[in-house]
Order: sequence, then C-alpha cells, then structure tokens
Amino acid sequence: MALPKRIIKETERLVTDPVSGIIATPHEENLRYFDVSLEGPPGTPYEGGVFKLELFLPEDYPMTAPRLRFLTRIYHPNIDRLGRICLDVLKDHWSPAMQIRTILLSVQALLSSPNPDDPLANDVAAIWKENEPLAVQTAKEWTEKYAM
Amino acid sequence: MVQTPRNFRLLEELEKGEKGLGSDACSIGLANLDDISMTNWTGTILGPPHSAYENRIYALSIEAGPEYPVKPPVMKFLTRVNLPCVDSEGNVIPQELNALAKWKPETTMEAVLLSLRKFMAQPQNRNLSQPSEGEMYAN
Repeated sequence: MALPKRIIKETERLVTDPVSGIIATPHEENLRYFDVSLEGPPGTPYEGGVFKLELFLPEDYPMTAPRLRFLTRIYHPNIDRLGRICLDVLKDHWSPAMQIRTILLSVQALLSSPNPDDPLANDVAAIWKENEPLAVQTAKEWTEKYAM
Repeated sequence: MVQTPRNFRLLEELEKGEKGLGSDACSIGLANLDDISMTNWTGTILGPPHSAYENRIYALSIEAGPEYPVKPPVMKFLTRVNLPCVDSEGNVIPQELNALAKWKPETTMEAVLLSLRKFMAQPQNRNLSQPSEGEMYAN
C-alpha cells in the first residue's frame, strides 16, 4: 500500500517543522491515522490544558478534508460531546490547497474564538450566549478536570 | 487499501443514522451520547411483515469492542424473541448468523440487524411461536 507523496511530505514537515503547541504523530500500522495533542491557547479558558485529538486522512484526501475529533472532553460551543468539531474548513470550506497543519491551526484558532452562533453543542452555546463568564468558568473547570 | 480507523468508522455509522439515511426497518444509535469510546449501542428491528414478528419492535444492545470492525460486534436482544440464532438469554449466537459467522470489516451494525430481520422472515422461522409482546429478558 503506497502512501501518496503528498501525505509523506506533509508528515515529514509536521515532524521537522512542527506547529507551535501541536504534535501530530502517525500510527505505525496506519500512516493516514494520527494522534494529535494540542495545547490550549494562552489567554483562553483552555490554557494549560493538553487536548488529545485523532485525525484521519480518507482515501480521497486531499480532495476531501481530513476527519478530526477531540478525544479529550472540552467545553466549547462548536465541539459536541463525542468530540466532533463544527468548523467550516473541515466541511464546505475545505480546499485541497489546505493541509493537516492548516486544519490544526484552525482548530487552535477555534479554541481562541468560540462561535456560539453556529453551535454544535446547543446546550453549551446557549449558556455561552446568556452568561459568558459562567461558560468561561465551566470551560476552565473542564480543562483542569480532563486536560491536565 | 485504505483502512478507516475504528472511531471514524463508527462515526460514519452514527452519522448515517443521524442524517436519516439508514433503513426504515432497523436503526442504531449510541446508548450514551457522552461515551467518547462509542462502545455501547442500541439497535432496533421492526419485525418483518407476514410473520409472527410483524408489528413488533425488537430492542437490542450492541457492543462495538476496541477491535471493531476487524472483529464483529456483540449483539443481544433485550426484547424476548424465539429465534434459532438467539440463546435463552437473548444473546445472538455468532456461529448461527451468516453476517456474524462470515464477518467482514465492511459489514455494518445496521447490516447485521437487517440480516437478523431477514432471518426472522425465512420460511422455517417466520411462524415460530413468540413470547407475548413487550416481554424483556432479565437484566
């Protein structure tokens, strides 16, 4: 099973020139499947936490987006209880010009700017809109509980 | 061949149901929406027409273990049923059902439910006398 050159190159670059705060390591038995750990961005309720994700490059990658999911619980209006992420670049706004690193940077950015107007976790989004300090406090508590 | 890892495969199966693309006669869902490991599922089968199972809804528990889909799911009827591939506690006996006995990783949980439904409708099974409607197995 030959791995496309594009994936080999991307993987090499992720190792030699990693994105700050993000580590992505392919599984030995499936080089399209990555363990990802992502540091919560400074100045956010996720600061200090390390979040685990899994990423998979489907057969038709890069024509379709990578699949990505949080494995660490996180309190965020655009991430649901199964760790699924609502992010435009993972769906309609994916372009083959993007890369694994672009996507991971987008997820980091999503943690810095939650978007409760386009929610995936409706209960979280409602609290985020009604009482943001409470939502931020809960997000901090979850970070301490699950990501530290 | 590209191998979809367990979790993404299970997400595909879940999302097919969420989008309403699944079968009308059988359905699957997560038993617990907080279960990030996606191990425990519930299934339902609508009894096939022109059989002793007609108009009944059968509930099952389904376990997708860590090696799913390389290894088949473990299935158990919660609703009492009299069917040759189901033991006295409701467990589906893998050797007695083709979809499990000849398991292929491409087979989905929904496909197994559909094959159970087909099994119910087979001439030798469709008129078996059944427990009263709504009876459940203990535990």
